[in-house]
Amino acid sequence: MPNKLSPIDHLRIERLVWTLDQQLYDLPHRTRVAKRREVRDNLRDAARDVGVAEALRRLGGSRRLAEEFLAAEYGPGPRHSWVAAGYFLSLVPMLLLYALGEAENAFENGVLAHDPHVTGTFTWDGIALLQHAVTFTFTDGHAERVGGAWTPLTYVLWLAGTVLVGRLWRLLPWYRRRRENVGA
Amino acid sequence: MAPHDSQLLKGVLPLLLLHLLAEQESYGYQVVQRLQAAGLTDVLEGTVYPALARLEREGRVASRLVASSSGPARKYYRPTPAGFEALADGTENWTRHTAIVNAVLTRPLPAASR
Repeated sequence: MPNKLSPIDHLRIERLVWTLDQQLYDLPHRTRVAKRREVRDNLRDAARDVGVAEALRRLGGSRRLAEEFLAAEYGPGPRHSWVAAGYFLSLVPMLLLYALGEAENAFENGVLAHDPHVTGTFTWDGIALLQHAVTFTFTDGHAERVGGAWTPLTYVLWLAGTVLVGRLWRLLPWYRRRRENVGA
Repeated sequence: MAPHDSQLLKGVLPLLLLHLLAEQESYGYQVVQRLQAAGLTDVLEGTVYPALARLEREGRVASRLVASSSGPARKYYRPTPAGFEALADGTENWTRHTAIVNAVLTRPLPAASR
């Protein structure tokens, strides 16, 4: 006689499914959603048969299951990580803009500390190699700033860092293997 | 009963899955139940579901959603023509290997080696 699942049982299943989902973020969206649904349905069936604790135990843990699913999709061995690359790609500009902005503010504050009612034009060279010069035009202590754009080197470092952090060079053998498998 | 060697099982699991699915189109948990009914009582769901996913990615099984009276639609798997071909090849290889292994393992050992 199948067991009826309690709300707590459903919550325990959802917790596993949610954890697994987080660990499968490197899968394409549709595949990830399909896996999530399938695991949830199978877990519910298993839980009705053997109880939720046993059903979860027999799944072998979300981390191991996620690793197996990723290996099934991309093959065993080291893989690229879109998630890590995405984090680097989005977080680094924010951090860099914050840091460069703070440096420009510090320069502006330095000028104002010398003369709170300063009028004139001052140029700050920016952070060497990363940023173009910033020109401050002060009018009675109020500043307008122009410049400070990233240099080409900053963009190159940003993209290179994304490739490194996401280990995206591993995509090349993956694509090659995939092409070979399709051709076979 | 001693648990099955997980490495041995992992090697032959795709073949077993193809055979079970060739017998009858099934969804994930149903496949696990059928494996357990066949005697693999300690097989883990966490091993079977990724193996099905791998077979699907390799184009050896296809899946379709079938409405269920007891809940959401279930994903049923069945072998593709490539899956049937892999099943025939795999079965032939397995039979050949087990015949060789059995032939060696059933040879009598000299009394001194016991």
